[in-house]
Amino acid sequence: MNRHHRISTYAAGLIAAIATMSSAAAQETPIGIGFSMAQTGMLAQATPSQLNTYNLWKDSVNARGGLDLGSGRRRPIAFVQYDDQSRPDQAVRIYEKLISDDKVDLLLPPWGTPFHIALAPVLEKYKFPMVGNTAASVAVRQVKPGYIWFTTSAIPDKIGPELVALATSNGVKRAAVINNVLPFTKELKTFLLPALKAANIDVKVEGEYPPDIKDMTSLLTQITQAKPDAVLALSYPSDSVLYAKQARELNLQAGFQFVAIGASDVPFRKAIGDAGNGLVTIGHWAPTRSEWRGAKDFYDRYVQRYQVEPDFLNSALAWMSLEILEQAVAKAGLDKEKLRDTIASGTFETINGPVKFEGVQNAITPTAFLQIQKGKLELVWPKSIATSEFEPKKEW
Amino acid sequence: MTSVATLLSGQLLFSALVAGSLYALVGLGLNLVYGTMRLLNVAHGDLVMIGAYVAFWLLSAFGWSPLWAAPVVAVVCAFTGLVLYELLFRSLLAARSSIVRIEANSLLLFFGLSVIIQNTMALSVTATPVGYQYLDGIYHLGNVAMTGNRIATLIVSLLICVAVGLFLRFNVFGLALRAVIERTDAARIVGVDIELVHRVSFGAGFATAGIAGVLVSMMEQFSPFIGFPFTVSAFIVVILGGLGNIYGGFAAAFVLGALESYGVALTSANLRSVLLYGTFVAALILFPQGLLARRAAR
Repeated sequence: MNRHHRISTYAAGLIAAIATMSSAAAQETPIGIGFSMAQTGMLAQATPSQLNTYNLWKDSVNARGGLDLGSGRRRPIAFVQYDDQSRPDQAVRIYEKLISDDKVDLLLPPWGTPFHIALAPVLEKYKFPMVGNTAASVAVRQVKPGYIWFTTSAIPDKIGPELVALATSNGVKRAAVINNVLPFTKELKTFLLPALKAANIDVKVEGEYPPDIKDMTSLLTQITQAKPDAVLALSYPSDSVLYAKQARELNLQAGFQFVAIGASDVPFRKAIGDAGNGLVTIGHWAPTRSEWRGAKDFYDRYVQRYQVEPDFLNSALAWMSLEILEQAVAKAGLDKEKLRDTIASGTFETINGPVKFEGVQNAITPTAFLQIQKGKLELVWPKSIATSEFEPKKEW
Repeated sequence: MTSVATLLSGQLLFSALVAGSLYALVGLGLNLVYGTMRLLNVAHGDLVMIGAYVAFWLLSAFGWSPLWAAPVVAVVCAFTGLVLYELLFRSLLAARSSIVRIEANSLLLFFGLSVIIQNTMALSVTATPVGYQYLDGIYHLGNVAMTGNRIATLIVSLLICVAVGLFLRFNVFGLALRAVIERTDAARIVGVDIELVHRVSFGAGFATAGIAGVLVSMMEQFSPFIGFPFTVSAFIVVILGGLGNIYGGFAAAFVLGALESYGVALTSANLRSVLLYGTFVAALILFPQGLLARRAAR
């Protein structure tokens, strides 16, 4: 081998090595998945259960070798994450940036209904599909179907009649209804009151209160004197705790007591302890239904990682949306139009059973309710998915 | 509409007293800082939040009872206050600017601090609301049911307010502090150590806010964002009672507590803010120097 030939061989080897390394690097380029989350500002307190779920998913996907793109191809995933400062307008700017500047491959949703709705036009504009999760309002139906889907079945016009059905099946004839004036609970009330009237349930006390309420004594004293069978507190997390603490102080006796939001997450039960037993709340998932594939596994891994139970509503919704996205990508890859068609037409197995979208909405998962029993959350309605029988609330 | 029996029940009175005593304690700290230095501490409610978290951490990490932890929380908050005083406010006060300028600058500084404190807490400890159970036994006095932590709040708040009131009336340093509140220049001429009074007031103001936070944490769920309503309540108390008028602030706090309980019972819980701010505006028009203006006349 002469000198010239030797140099040519070395050069060819070097080029081949560089090409191999570049190819390996290209194969390992992570799939960019973008989202914003309120980490500062007033809504930051609501987002940890959703963000924890996203991080758990990311690590479990990467531990499996990456996201399945179909045909056995897998690529690791990496998050591109921003703080939207609890502002929907900021979230809109962030998602524009994620799509056009960061050029992410996939999007996950931020927390909350106003954010989802604000993002719908952006997704439409860029024809970028996104599976929503923590959004619940009849307003989602006004969103043009196409590039966004809503996973929850806890929509106020369904919750109202179903809650009344649960109450009447347990002999409720007289109710008290109090509500926080924030949008979700106010909307819920507009569907609950007609449903109560239709079921001939007499509303003995009806009252509203502001989000910053510090004392419910006068409201709860009126309710105590009215002796209703059911107290329906359309509340947010902090006032759910306030309701429970002050109802306990006044020994408010009603066999059916409902708090809307907050009780599906651990901080509520930590704040009020055994007094929470018997309270009913919104939620359509429980880890103990064995036919829901992966439900127990998700619960166990979440507990192992965060040393706390997932939120039975928001964490479950977030995980469902991730499962839908993962299954859709495994069928359609990263092509946006194929992905959109797959999500819009497919049926997906989730920890909450099968999900199929009609328009923007989940058409399969039933609207359901949880009850705290012996410190644990059990599905008590509808009976088709119940994990336990409803138990009337006894002592506080 | 609430029945007469409800209005006359001790239950509403108890609620009014608990709320009033807590507002008195929260307002006291703000009043000390404003009265002696004319600093508008709009981050005051965030100190209440910090007190709540410190109590929670001491309970979680060491099992310390929140009531016994309260002195530690007070020291932590006072120390934080002194550090901030040295870093941010001493030079502002040393410049002997006009009251308007001090108020304006301090308002901006404290506003910035408030945003930083809230978001730093949210990012470092997560914003998930936390709560715990402590002294949650129910006690009865006649028909009135009282949770132990609300009784403790009433007692501790009253004790601190009375102690501070007595200190200001009978202790030499307390008299000096009142002198600074009423006429700073005159106090300086007669030899009062103004800077020492400033430091003590700043530390004490922060400490009382921290203790209020401990009490709040026993009763409510809290997050890094609970502070603002306490700041608003404290300002209503302080302005209603007369800026810098400690005793007027105590009276205003109980008026506020009564308004919250009885006003809401007579109208609607939804009208709470309207009642509070409506009374506040009416009082500003009718008593521009505060409820106890005559006694506080300078």
